[in-house]
Amino acid sequence: MRNLLVTENITKKFGGLVAVNKVSIEVKEQTFTMLIGPNGCGKTTLINCCTGILKPTEGRVLFGDTDITGWPTHKIYEVGFVRSFQIPLPFLGLTVLDNVLGAMRNSGEAPLKAPFRRLWVQEEENNMEKAMEILRRVRLDNHWDKPSHTLGAAQLKMLEVAKGLASGARLIALDEPIGGVDPASADEILTHVAELKKEGLTFLVVEHRIDIAAPYADYIYAMDLGRLISQGTPSEVLNDPKVIEVYLGKGVEAC
Amino acid sequence: MITEQSRNSKNILGLFLKGEVITTVAILVVLTYFLVSRGLPMVLTIIIDFAVFAIVTMSLNLETGFTGIPQFGRVLAVIAGAFAVGAIPGRIMAASMGLPWGLKYAKDSIHYQISPELTQVLANSWVFSLLFLIFCVTIAAASGAGIGWLTSRPAIRLKEAYLGISLLAFGDFFMWVGHNWEPLVGGSTAVYVPDPFRIFGGGRFQAVVIVIFLVAMLVYAYLNRLTSSPFGRSLKMIRDNEVSAAAAGKDITRIRTQSLVIGSMLAGVAGGLYVIYTGTVTAMGYSRLVWTFWPWAFMMLGGIGSTTGVLLGVMVLTIMRTMITVYRFQLFGFLMAWGINPLWLEYTLMGAVIIGVILFLPHGLVPEKVQPMLPAGRVKKLFSGGMAAKPR
Repeated sequence: MRNLLVTENITKKFGGLVAVNKVSIEVKEQTFTMLIGPNGCGKTTLINCCTGILKPTEGRVLFGDTDITGWPTHKIYEVGFVRSFQIPLPFLGLTVLDNVLGAMRNSGEAPLKAPFRRLWVQEEENNMEKAMEILRRVRLDNHWDKPSHTLGAAQLKMLEVAKGLASGARLIALDEPIGGVDPASADEILTHVAELKKEGLTFLVVEHRIDIAAPYADYIYAMDLGRLISQGTPSEVLNDPKVIEVYLGKGVEAC
Repeated sequence: MITEQSRNSKNILGLFLKGEVITTVAILVVLTYFLVSRGLPMVLTIIIDFAVFAIVTMSLNLETGFTGIPQFGRVLAVIAGAFAVGAIPGRIMAASMGLPWGLKYAKDSIHYQISPELTQVLANSWVFSLLFLIFCVTIAAASGAGIGWLTSRPAIRLKEAYLGISLLAFGDFFMWVGHNWEPLVGGSTAVYVPDPFRIFGGGRFQAVVIVIFLVAMLVYAYLNRLTSSPFGRSLKMIRDNEVSAAAAGKDITRIRTQSLVIGSMLAGVAGGLYVIYTGTVTAMGYSRLVWTFWPWAFMMLGGIGSTTGVLLGVMVLTIMRTMITVYRFQLFGFLMAWGINPLWLEYTLMGAVIIGVILFLPHGLVPEKVQPMLPAGRVKKLFSGGMAAKPR
């Protein structure tokens, strides 16, 4: 399997604080790669550096064969790499459907073309059908015409996933897709992600709830204090003493 | 039960809102009666003020209401349009007629001699008048758009308050340039603009009003179509959340620039048309109070993000403003006894409106609706074949 996303010694410093310290990870095509670690260990910062929201202080980010280090977010979207956010950031002034449509492309976004509905309405209708299909998958189809601010917390998470799917990306970085979601819905979201993986998508997932998410993962990277401390298959990483230590503290013998 | 209750409360809210609109309309009717009883010129004045400020306020609404740019420098693009119409077309005419046209053109002693000659040429030819008008609108739009683009370069990457302050400063800067650099538009004295409507003779005023009103309606139709499109959706996405919009593939800087350029272009047209209507330009006439903060008050009253609401806001306040200007000493003369000069009531009104709207009507008279970008009928038709589980 080819590597879809590779980071080479990514370092991100905020003044004196080294949030991410020489982290190199590889995300293989058509996998569910998980990134775990305690709060503040730099998982989200790493994702931000990969998706252009932050510029890494050092290191390189490769997507396929393209060096995307320091590219703006919208250009990274264009090569097929999108992300969702830990705290859902819906577009409050738009309907649920328009939130999803907004993550798609339509030539009517050009201001010269926009006033002439005839030129883009066919594209829009095609997009709408795709968007409704996606909404049905995440079970938001009944809410398609509601303002997005009327959704509940779990539904907003679903909407984030839907926006990621709508973009037609090859790699989707999900920042805590099941954080704050009840276990049943969480399994549902992850089952769905696993299905999409079979269809050819690749996922890089930041998640705290290892117990629920790990069974779905193909490969896990664990971070602590900005460094990579372990990697491997789920069973390897979850049994790694270093990983157990950062989550549970040192064992009795160590005292 | 819960749904029924919420539906009831919605109905009551709906009635209350409707009541508000009905009251507004009733007050407007009474005010309009008073004003209309003063004769046609008063009606025409209201229409022209409405039309010019409607264009400016709708352009402000595009940038602020739809894109979230804190446009506190609306006056800048208006000035660009006004100065361009004051400085360029007359000079071109003067040059082609062998009259002084360079830096001397705006010098008052020379200017007052040549400007009647220029207008005389237009007054004799329909073709010239029409071409002149089209040219004026074009350069007003171009210079508005140009200045919008120029200011966007350093400013667009700034965040909210800093962007607002920068835009405000740009606006004032250009007013003072115009005031102090005489060759541009005469400095502290006025520059006359050749009048393309002189050809209508006694019907000049009516003709100007009709043309400018039609332009305002065209702008309204254009903005409605522009914003109910994928482009409009991108604008709202950026307004609601920049980071999330970027993650959805929107080029924030480019789209904000586009919005600023289109808005500034329209504001420039308004500035140019106002100059054609008044026939003169004086730099000091373009203050940030009238051309930035009044449009803000209109927009806030009408409903930020609602193009139709903005029109209503401009209408209400224009009529009230005209009412005050006309009747201030008759109706409010008693305030003199308390040491308040009714001369300033107009300004008091605008301030009171802004405060009142923030306190009691934060979404304006016609709040922005959250609805699909395509008309509801089309969306429903699309989903009627069992696409959506329960289309409403």
